[in-house]
Amino acid sequence: MTSPHAGTKEPRYDVLWPLSRKAVKATAAAPRLPDLNGKTVCELWDVIFRGETIYPLVREYIKARFPRVKFVEYSQFGNFHGAREHEVIATLPAKLRAHGADAAIVGIGA
Amino acid sequence: MLRAAAVVERLGIPTASIISSAFLKQAEVVKQGLGVPLAIGVYPGVPMLDSEEELRRKVEEVLAPGLLKGLTGDAPKEADKNSEAEPLPGTVVFSGSLQEVQEYFHRQLWTDGLPILPPTRERVAEFLAYTDRKPEEVLRAIPQEGREASILSIAINGVMAGCRPEYMPILIAVIEAMVDPVFRIEDCGSTPGWEPVVIVNGPIVKELAFNFGQGMMRFGRQANTSIGRFVRMYLRNICGFRIPPGAGDKGSIGQSYLVAMAEDEDSAKAIGWPTYAQDQGFADDENVVTVRSVISSTGPMYSGGTRAVDHVQLWVELMCQSFTYWAYTGFKTGVWNPLIVAGPGVARVIASEWSKDEVRRYLHANIKVNAKQVTHYARVASTPTFSLERYVAEGILPPEYTAASDPERLVNAIIKPEMIGILVAGDPGRNQSRAYLCNHIQGAPVSKAVRLPQNWRQLRQRAAH
Repeated sequence: MTSPHAGTKEPRYDVLWPLSRKAVKATAAAPRLPDLNGKTVCELWDVIFRGETIYPLVREYIKARFPRVKFVEYSQFGNFHGAREHEVIATLPAKLRAHGADAAIVGIGA
Repeated sequence: MLRAAAVVERLGIPTASIISSAFLKQAEVVKQGLGVPLAIGVYPGVPMLDSEEELRRKVEEVLAPGLLKGLTGDAPKEADKNSEAEPLPGTVVFSGSLQEVQEYFHRQLWTDGLPILPPTRERVAEFLAYTDRKPEEVLRAIPQEGREASILSIAINGVMAGCRPEYMPILIAVIEAMVDPVFRIEDCGSTPGWEPVVIVNGPIVKELAFNFGQGMMRFGRQANTSIGRFVRMYLRNICGFRIPPGAGDKGSIGQSYLVAMAEDEDSAKAIGWPTYAQDQGFADDENVVTVRSVISSTGPMYSGGTRAVDHVQLWVELMCQSFTYWAYTGFKTGVWNPLIVAGPGVARVIASEWSKDEVRRYLHANIKVNAKQVTHYARVASTPTFSLERYVAEGILPPEYTAASDPERLVNAIIKPEMIGILVAGDPGRNQSRAYLCNHIQGAPVSKAVRLPQNWRQLRQRAAH
């Protein structure tokens, strides 16, 4: 607290910023793939919000435009959210490498 | 969900994430906290409410084109635009009268809608005097904005919430518990709208005048009330869980902050039961803080009779009525922790016959849920592929859940007896108890010892004069 406002007896308060520093290491996005033909797209799913219906439709849509794209279905990676989240995420890099992942679709946040 | 996408993107693999339109604001907050620009394909609306035809149309017309653009188009560029412009910790950001400070903090979304005490340097220093730890010490960088949970930030938000300086060791222990990965602070803004509750044990309960008796969960006692408020203030300011016009807190309806609980340890010891903290492995004379989520509570559980079973059977019935809808969340995750606040008089009757473990075993064996019904609840809420068979096959549930095949069979709502917490507190002059349920793995109970400063006694004596 500092001196009162000029002309009043009401005190003034010098207040500190109530947040804290962001400890975020910024990373650039990975380069995109203009042509998905011949590429492998991996699916990661948190097993909620109708992904069992949505992913096949997405697959169908992308294959119609890039017929030689290959999909690795979500069942290969496990549920990355929930009971085994940390374990599943820890295994992701190795699994993605093993499947030769060029891109990934991740869902579903709703 | 975006955290998984960030892991993949950091491997140099482009991603596109599926987000429904109502979650875009929260996604922006999370992306900034992750520090990774992420491409998003939007699903318009709520997938659980759309017909098959509507869902197909939305995927083909909006979502799939968005995902494809995210993988093949320009790389997303939006990083955190604001952090470089932010003040340094400890910076004076505003000067004004009490009313002007309130208005400024409201405009910045730094308050919970109630007036705050101004966090002046002098007042914050009073809090910092109650810890041997340095203000710049960081417990962990925490989701979802990726901010540092520093000792200084705890003191500042403690001031704002109306805490007393001597609560500082408890506030630190609370945040230590909440930043523990087991607690999953990143899920504090999930749609069920759960709320953390703090439980305090040890000699500090009496020393700081916590209410553990009649009206223990009411606003009105400074220690209980202001520490409860501090928790929500911290989640808001440091984690970034804000309701509109902010973003980040997606509690669909939500609930407001809970005052801190404290145990009536004299009553627990008098009946020969270990305290709640002793159940967590702490010594009798240790000061301990536990933080756990509350997704729902029973109504008041009035029980009568002179036998243990008279009371515990009534708990079974009321916990069945209040909690079993939510059992599927435990079945999906393998974690489901109810807490019973047992009235001291009721606890005395039960303890004359049963140990706490016997109470737990009875509740575990008798709180049942219909398998078909719980499967239905899971499928309409979020998980159309839910089946008990799958979670048993994945090892998340024990085999007993599929030992029979009758879809109408009754299964245990509580997965293991040891998941049940029991705390003695409330009105000793009434035969009432109440139970509180955690939100499965989100806000699972975490306990931490309270570390008092070396000069605690001198500080307390000085404050008394």
